[in-house]
Amino acid sequence: MGGLKGSFSFVVIVAVVMAGLRVLHLGTPLVFPATRPGPIAIADLDEARRRAGFSPIIPGYHPASLGAEPSSISLLLSPAPTLIIVWRQNGTYLSLTEHRGGKAPTTPPLAVPLEDVPDSMWWATGSEHHLVVLRLGFWIDMVTNLPKQDLKRFADTLTIY
Amino acid sequence: MTTPGDLHPLLTYAWQVGLHSWVLGFILYVWVRRAHVPSGRTKRILLVLLLVLPLVTAAIPGRASVEFGERIAWFNSWRILAVPLGHRFHLLDVVLLISGLSILLTLWQELRPWHARPHTTDEPPPDSLLAIARTLPGWEDCRVMLSPSESIVLASTGGRRRPKLIVSKGALAALSAEELHLAIAHEHAHGRFWTESHALFLVRLVQCYNPIALWAFREYCLEIEVACDAQAVAGRDPQSLARVLLKIYQSTDPRDPGSRSMLRKRVDILLAHDLNDAALPAATIAAAAVVMLLVLPWVV
Repeated sequence: MGGLKGSFSFVVIVAVVMAGLRVLHLGTPLVFPATRPGPIAIADLDEARRRAGFSPIIPGYHPASLGAEPSSISLLLSPAPTLIIVWRQNGTYLSLTEHRGGKAPTTPPLAVPLEDVPDSMWWATGSEHHLVVLRLGFWIDMVTNLPKQDLKRFADTLTIY
Repeated sequence: MTTPGDLHPLLTYAWQVGLHSWVLGFILYVWVRRAHVPSGRTKRILLVLLLVLPLVTAAIPGRASVEFGERIAWFNSWRILAVPLGHRFHLLDVVLLISGLSILLTLWQELRPWHARPHTTDEPPPDSLLAIARTLPGWEDCRVMLSPSESIVLASTGGRRRPKLIVSKGALAALSAEELHLAIAHEHAHGRFWTESHALFLVRLVQCYNPIALWAFREYCLEIEVACDAQAVAGRDPQSLARVLLKIYQSTDPRDPGSRSMLRKRVDILLAHDLNDAALPAATIAAAAVVMLLVLPWVV
């Protein structure tokens, strides 16, 4: 060890400094939520896959009234990568918010499981339907003003893009 | 929140250099204090590392994206820079202020010596002075010039290829033959570091906005002076050179606390024999450099 005299103290100092930096990295957004970056505008689903670090899960069922392409895709990176995909056309819309694992999105007390859709919670506010489902380890929060039966079809046809 | 994508890539790089410089500077400072590293080659190498390594680690590609900072990096400084300070100010504004002040300090620090550089006369130097200078190895053709200044001023330029020595009339009057010999030996020793110190000067100028680089280069200059002092007094009584330094100290403008503080430190080191060129093994320094080369890129 004579040839590396002083290296142990160096490694300890580096470890302590790096631990301190990590605490700052994790603690800053907790104390100052405004320091979380985003949302970042994403051009298409391919870019969403690349930048979010996971493949978007989208419904195979897609009514023509929503329009072919998403009208907006946004990405939040902190605290966990979260994709927000929205289709909107002539007042009709579908919004998907999805993130891997972690805590389930909050649901109101009146939310109930949607019949024949496992791991789901559904509720309505006026003409707007909300559905939270757990698929492939991802929490997916759907919001649409399409009828309830469309919501069920969306949930039944969720697949990896 | 400002993200790397909002800034010009050069500004992002500049911030990364500054950030790595702060982290590395802090680590090396604590290490040197704990390991009691005295002046000498080891300290000089560590200062060179501090000036150069951040330029390398900050240039590693693929680290500028928001995704890297948020998902992969160990530490994302953009979170810290976005901390609000009230009145629409963020920590980023403080960093910009410090950088601006560093640039002003650099301009002042580099323009002032240029303005105060010793002027020379056409008067031929005394033969005794020529004899001292030209007996030194490599200085057989050294140009020796006189400065009319009444202060004690000695300076050498041109490195080893075209050495030039400037000695003030004040120095000739105030120093004994032995003292003059030591002072000239010190200037001669500077030739050894000419290329290295000029290259680092450019590195420091590139980082003119970075206060750590400013401090590191100043410390490096002190280390060069200490090394030249050691070479000048080799086999001689260090007290003689300490006397010369104290005479220079007394003739230095009190409004120049930087130069006076450097002279004081040199005397302290000279008299305390607090010099060790091998305070840490070369393998330890190399290992430390490799560790930081691997660690710093994860700090963005």
